[in-house]
Amino acid sequence: MRGRIIAVVAAVCVVAGCGSSAPEPRAERVEFTAPQPVGASVLDTPAPTTTGPPVPACDPAASLRPTGPPVVAGAGPSVAAVVAQGRLRVGVDQNSYRFGYRDSFTGELGGFDIDVARQMAAAMFGDQNMIQFVTLTSGQRIDALKNGDVDIVVQTMTSNCARKQEIDFSTIYYQAGQRVLVNVGSGIRDLDGLAGRRVCSSTGSTSIKNLAEAAAKPIPVGVPSWTDCLVMLQQGQVDAVSTDDTILAGLAAQDPNTEVVGPRFSDEPYGIGIAKGRDDLVRFVNAVLDRMRADGTWTAIYQRWLAELGPPPAPPAARYLS
Amino acid sequence: MTSPRMRMVAAAARTTPGRLGVIAVVLVALALLFGLTSAVGLQARSDALGDLVTSSEPLAVAAQDVYRSLSDADATAASAFLEGGVEPAALRERYQADIAQAGSALAAAAGAASTSEEAGRSVAELSTYLPVYTGLVETARVNNRAGLPVGAAYLREASGLMRDRLLPAARQLYESETGRLAATEDRATPVPFVEVLLGLVALGCLVVAQVFVRRRTNRVLNVGLLAATAASGLVLLWVLVAAVAVSVNVGQARERGSAQVQQLATARIAALEARGDETLTLVVRGSGQSYEQHYQEVSARLGGDAGLLRQARDSVEDPAVRTLVEQAMAQQGQWQVAHEEIRKRDDSGSYNEAVDLAIGDTGAAPAFSALEKSLADAIALSTQRFDDEVGAARSALAWSVVGVLLLTVLAVGGAAWGVWQRLKEYR
Repeated sequence: MRGRIIAVVAAVCVVAGCGSSAPEPRAERVEFTAPQPVGASVLDTPAPTTTGPPVPACDPAASLRPTGPPVVAGAGPSVAAVVAQGRLRVGVDQNSYRFGYRDSFTGELGGFDIDVARQMAAAMFGDQNMIQFVTLTSGQRIDALKNGDVDIVVQTMTSNCARKQEIDFSTIYYQAGQRVLVNVGSGIRDLDGLAGRRVCSSTGSTSIKNLAEAAAKPIPVGVPSWTDCLVMLQQGQVDAVSTDDTILAGLAAQDPNTEVVGPRFSDEPYGIGIAKGRDDLVRFVNAVLDRMRADGTWTAIYQRWLAELGPPPAPPAARYLS
Repeated sequence: MTSPRMRMVAAAARTTPGRLGVIAVVLVALALLFGLTSAVGLQARSDALGDLVTSSEPLAVAAQDVYRSLSDADATAASAFLEGGVEPAALRERYQADIAQAGSALAAAAGAASTSEEAGRSVAELSTYLPVYTGLVETARVNNRAGLPVGAAYLREASGLMRDRLLPAARQLYESETGRLAATEDRATPVPFVEVLLGLVALGCLVVAQVFVRRRTNRVLNVGLLAATAASGLVLLWVLVAAVAVSVNVGQARERGSAQVQQLATARIAALEARGDETLTLVVRGSGQSYEQHYQEVSARLGGDAGLLRQARDSVEDPAVRTLVEQAMAQQGQWQVAHEEIRKRDDSGSYNEAVDLAIGDTGAAPAFSALEKSLADAIALSTQRFDDEVGAARSALAWSVVGVLLLTVLAVGGAAWGVWQRLKEYR
């Protein structure tokens, strides 16, 4: 009853317009946190070193000796099979700028690895376009070879003894190593200059493990993808990026205000992956690589894609199994 | 009854004229109370209906608009990215229209911020991060135009901001506004217990009074009291009819309107999210497993036997809307087939073919657009239905307050005049 009486009074008030108090306009206090790449996180404890079954010692750089110059005729059954299928199927990356990436205008793949792969097709078919690229993620590379989805993998792939148990590698066609990318004018010259500073690397990579174990004690920040590191550097959320110089070159090429500094502090020899049991193909690929080293093709490809890393070094020397 | 004055009043009340006087006072008071209570109740109902049309529903629509246009912006920005360096004008325009729409709907929804703390927080969060989001998208776009892969990383960051901050805030705003809409609907449809009780008491007293007057004065009919009884009866009838009519209309507005809109809008936003996942998976080139996983979750929520579309179809009564929802289900099926083909191509390394299927004229893009359009049309129809039903409810209440007040005047006057006629005879 009382409620109704109040309602009557309220109704009268509404009509008469008494007691109308508008709420005070007031800006909400907002806590602003600048966005970061999804999945970025400071690595608190270094990831434990994975302890798999012991890997027998080997020379990761040594491969099968070519029988002569790269000639298709009489090379062997594997090369003949590739020739018969009419094109070379190559597993490549589409996400590593300057090594294997997709040009956003043309949709075409380009980069150091792509050009090396084209040399293989040219040697086999006399036409560098007799090639089918299959884009793979790092984790798919070995399975794609084992399943026969691709003939070779040219994808910033480090030749090591663990992988050599599963697949074969060509001779080393690129010697990579971990270095540091910083903003121009930052005053940071090498890894030691990063003591106590935030350094970006890819979560789960060997590079971030190397950072966590470095004597200079930088603060490793992990992200899902390498380009995320460049975003963080550009947004001022890290002081440096550190990983293989090949990847750093690709990042530096996207931002003239960054530079790759300091010496290499790890060894990452890249080889072309080939399924086991295709020795004649390995020898053929090695013969092509030999020719590229000798006739200046390797240097030309280096200059085309990796100028950010400075003048081209001598191509890595081929080492063969005795 | 101790004081002499009270005893005098009590003694006077025992005489017939005295009793008539008491009866007059009681009848007038009851008729007045009943009439005014009814008028206030009807006014409250009418105000609630007015709020539905002028405030709650527009705010719910604005909140839904913010949510939808942000989801659409996320999906459209990713689609534009897949087109290569220079995005097609149509996609660019769609993205810009989404951002403009989100901004203006946000300004409209800000009206709700003053009344609800929760809505206020969501609006503040949205207004803070929307410009940051557009900044990231433009950075992504500039890099993409220069052919730099870091553009995709900026787009991924933008999308992360959208999904982690903006969309949750938009969802919260939407939920708080739809909650408020439901509360306003309830406010328009209370059961008029007090009015009915007062009405029955007033009518009962009028009947008793007429019996008493007839016994004491030997007059069969008392015109005044009869008129008062009829007027009060009409008021009670009016209140009951209005309550029933408004309840039926608002119930329809809720079932076929707002609740349905909510269901359909949720489905539409899920479709937009899934489209964003599909295109972003391709934008990030090979490392999009988390987007694909989210796509599978969202599309399972959308389609499937217990999915949003199936639920919507089963609860929809309007045949036109049902047809649209059934179309949407078929289109979702087509999209799903196209999506699987896209994944197959991309996973087997045929990236360019996958992109063509995702954004070309055949494949996922037309199926998705058709699905989205069907749902948008269904939402428009349901919104119209809501407006119609609330309009009908409002017209059921037209003139009711004035009518009830006039009848109350008649009831009060009749009661007073009727008793006065008898009382006069004792002078």
